[in-house]
Amino acid sequence: MCSIQEGDIENPIKKDKTEKSKVCMKCGGEAVLITRINDPLCRDCFMVYTTHKFRAAIGKSKIIRDGETVLVGFSGGQASSCLLQLIKDGLSERAHKKLRFKPSLLFIDEGAAIDMSAEERLDSCQKILQVMAKSGFPCHIRSLEEAMDSSFITTDSSKDSLASTELPDLDEQSQGQRSKNDLDTDRPKPAEKPKTNGLPIDKDFKEKCIHYDESEIKLKELLKSLKSVTAKEDLIKSLRYNILIDTARKHSHTKVMTGDCSTRLSVRLLSDISQGKGAHVAMETGFADKRLDDITVVRPIRDFSSKEVTLHNVLNDVESVFIPTLTTKAPQNTSIEHLTESFITGLQADYGSTVMNIMRTGEKLNTEILDSTEQQCIICHAPLDTSTGIASALNAVEFSQKISRKNDDKLSPECCGEGDGSCNTKSGRLNKEEALSTLCYGCRLMVKDLSDVNKLPEYIQRDITNRVNRSKMKADIQDYLLADD
Amino acid sequence: MPISCSICDGKAILKRPKTGDALCKECFYYAFEEEIHKTIIDAKLFTSGETVAIGASGGKDSTVLAYTMKELNQRYNYGLDLVLLSVDEGITGYRDDSLETVKRNQIQYDLPLKIVSYEDLYGWSMDSIVKQIGLKNNCTFCGVFRRQALDRGAMMMKVDKIVTGHNADDIAETVIMNVLRGDIGRLRRCTAITTGTDGALPRCKPFKYTYEKEIVMYAYFKKLDYFSTECIYSPNAYRGFARAYIKDVEKIRPSAIIDIIHSGESLSVKKDVRLPVQGTCERCGYMSSNPVCKACVLLEGLNRGLPRLGIGKTHKERRKADEAEKAKKAAENLNSEDQKSCDNSSDQSNNRTCVSSCQCSTDISKLTLNSKPDVSKLDF
Repeated sequence: MCSIQEGDIENPIKKDKTEKSKVCMKCGGEAVLITRINDPLCRDCFMVYTTHKFRAAIGKSKIIRDGETVLVGFSGGQASSCLLQLIKDGLSERAHKKLRFKPSLLFIDEGAAIDMSAEERLDSCQKILQVMAKSGFPCHIRSLEEAMDSSFITTDSSKDSLASTELPDLDEQSQGQRSKNDLDTDRPKPAEKPKTNGLPIDKDFKEKCIHYDESEIKLKELLKSLKSVTAKEDLIKSLRYNILIDTARKHSHTKVMTGDCSTRLSVRLLSDISQGKGAHVAMETGFADKRLDDITVVRPIRDFSSKEVTLHNVLNDVESVFIPTLTTKAPQNTSIEHLTESFITGLQADYGSTVMNIMRTGEKLNTEILDSTEQQCIICHAPLDTSTGIASALNAVEFSQKISRKNDDKLSPECCGEGDGSCNTKSGRLNKEEALSTLCYGCRLMVKDLSDVNKLPEYIQRDITNRVNRSKMKADIQDYLLADD
Repeated sequence: MPISCSICDGKAILKRPKTGDALCKECFYYAFEEEIHKTIIDAKLFTSGETVAIGASGGKDSTVLAYTMKELNQRYNYGLDLVLLSVDEGITGYRDDSLETVKRNQIQYDLPLKIVSYEDLYGWSMDSIVKQIGLKNNCTFCGVFRRQALDRGAMMMKVDKIVTGHNADDIAETVIMNVLRGDIGRLRRCTAITTGTDGALPRCKPFKYTYEKEIVMYAYFKKLDYFSTECIYSPNAYRGFARAYIKDVEKIRPSAIIDIIHSGESLSVKKDVRLPVQGTCERCGYMSSNPVCKACVLLEGLNRGLPRLGIGKTHKERRKADEAEKAKKAAENLNSEDQKSCDNSSDQSNNRTCVSSCQCSTDISKLTLNSKPDVSKLDF
C-alpha cells in the first residue's frame, strides 16, 4: 500500500555530480579540497576555516574560563587527534589569540571489552602515550575495568566525604614530560623503534594489569551476560563516561572536552532515538552537556564533519592510532549504533546535507534539566523520562508485555516464599524490577538485556540500592511531607 | 515438543513480534484487540454518539482497522456510528482494484461507504497528472491531495472524526524521516495520536502502538480480504530509506519501533525555536502553514501548465511563472488594439486558479476539461 503522507514533499535533494571548480572560493588560488557540499578551498583557507570554527565554538559558548584546566578525552582516533592538534595550535605562541585554558589528556584503555591480550593492550597504550606525550600536556591513562572496582565512586566527591582510598591512578605527568624529551632528542620513527623502548609506563602499567585482573574478569562477565551488542556498546559508553567524569573530579577539573565530530554525533542522535533516548539527544549531541552539577562536557569540534576532520589531519600530518572496537569489521546489523552509522554514511554519500540536517534537528531540541537528583537516571544521570501519561508508548509496551503473559503472581525465584512482605532472601541482592524503576527508558532497555542485575558495576548497584531505600523512606513519611511547589 | 501459549498453555502457533511471547491464535486475537481497546480508552479517542469515518484504502491496515473498530464498537459499546470513506486517486490498475476490495468490505462489515475521487474534487486524476508531470514527483500530488480529499469526503458525510490505519511502523518511520529532514514542526506533531483538533476534523490513529507485522498476522489468521499491491507509480524513494532503516533496527531489537515512538513522544523543542504557525489557506480555507496551501499551489501549477510550480523551491518556479505572465501581458498589450476579444478569454483562464474549494469543484472540473491551459503560451 502507498505510504506517502502529506509532508513528504520537501525531501532533501540528491547530490548533483556537477563539475567541480578548482579555484579556492576564498582567495582564488588553487583549491586542494572540496568541503561542505561543494566549496573548493586551498590549504591555507581551509586551515583558517577549521581554526576559526573550533575557536568560534569555544568562544561563543563562554563556558571555558581563563586559566581553567580542562580534561580532554583522547581515544587516538581521527577526531580526537584532530581536537588535540587544534588545541596545540591554539595554545602555541604563534597563535593569533592564544587560547587561555590548560588541557590535560586522558586515554581510556578499553582492551578488556574486546578481549585484547595484555601485550596488545600494552602496545596500544604505548602508541597512544607517545602521541599524547608529544603534545607536552599532562596525560593520564586509565582502563575501562576500573569502573568495576568496588572502590569506584561516581558521586560528587564534595558531597561524599567518605571517598575511599585513592585509586592507583596512573598520572603520567612527569613521565610524559620525560618521554617527550626523549622523543624530541632523537625523533625515532615508529618503525625503527624497539617495541619496549624503556618508557617509564612499562612497569607501572604491568602492575596495573595485575591489580585490575579481578575487575577485568568482572567486566568480561558483565559484558557476556548482556545478550545484544547494542546493550554492550551502551554499557561501555556509560563506563567510559563515568571514568572521564571520575578523572575530572579527582583532578578537580570542571570541564571535559571530547572530540565528537558532527558525523559521529548525528549517528548518536539517530541511534539514541532508535534506542528510546529521544528525551536526551539534546544533551548527548549539543555543544555543552550540563547534566551534572559539577562537570560540563563540551564538544568543540561538533561542527566538523568526519571528512573535514580527516582532511585536517591529512593536511597537517596529524598522527592517529587505530584501536579496534566491539563492532570493527562486524556486519552492519551487529548493533543499532553500527547499523545507524552505515545508514547515515550511506545516505550522506548521496544526499550531502544528511548530517547537517540531523544536527539541525538536534539543535532545536531541548533536554529539560530537573533540579532533583532523585529524578535522574542512575546509570546515565540524564533526567528520567519515564513519568509519561497514561496514553504513551511506555504504558502501551508495558501493557503488551503484561497481556501476552499469564497473570503470574508467582513470586520471583529469589524470594523465600513468605509472600507477606517479610521476605529476607533478597537482602543484599538487587531486584530487577526495583532497579528498573530508577532508570530512564533507554537504560531500562540495556538492563532488561542483562541476565542478572547483580553483575552491574558495584557503583551502579550501590546507587540503585540507595535510591530505592530513599524512595521507600519517602513513601513511609509521605503523609507528613508538605508539598513544595 | 510443541511450544505452549504463554497465556492459556494451549498450543502456540506464533511468536508475537512485539514482545516475543509465544501465543495461540485465540490468545493473540485477544491481546491484539485488547491493546487497541486500551489505546482507544487511554487516549480518549471517541465519545459516545459520534460518527466516525474509517479511512479505507483496501489495504491491510485499513481493512484490519475497519474489522476491529466494528468488533470493539459492539463489544465495548463505544456507541459510534461507523462509516467507510475511500479516496479514488484515479490510478488504473491499482486503485480501481483496491476499491473493489473496499466495496466487498462494505458488504462484509455492513458499513456505509463513500468514495471521493480526485477527478471530482480537483478535476485531475492521478493518471492525468502523471501524463503531465511524468513519474517523478507525482507522489507529491497524490500525498497532498489525499489529505484534503479525505477531509472533504468526511465533511460531505458529516462525520465527527476520521480514523486512519497508520501503524506503529509508519509513525516510527515518520519520526526518523523528520529527523533526517530537520523538520522540527512535523517531528513534534507526528507522534500525536489525534491531530487537527483545532478547527479541522480530528484524525486519530488507533493503531499507533500496533506493529505492522501483527496487523498482517491478524489479517492472515482471520483470513481478512485485503488488497496488497504496490502502487504502479514510483514510490517515494526518500521515505523508503527511513522504512528500510526501521525494518533493520527492528531486526536487531524488536522493541525499537515502540522505542522510537517513545523518543518522539518525549522530545521537547527549545522554546526559542520558531515553529510554523498553522493558518488557513486564503484560497480554499483549508488549514495551511502558508498563505496558500500546497494543494492550491499544485493545482494552480497543473491548471496553468506549470506542473512543477509547487515542487521543490516554490519561489523559483513562481518567479518563472510570473515572468511568463508579464511577458504575455506585454505581448497582449501590444496586440490589444486589434484583438480585444482575445484578451477576455485569456484573462479568464488566468483567474481560474483556485479550484480546490468544495462548492465550485464541479464547475471547475468542467472548465478545466473544456479548456486545458494553453501550454505553448506559458511554457518558456
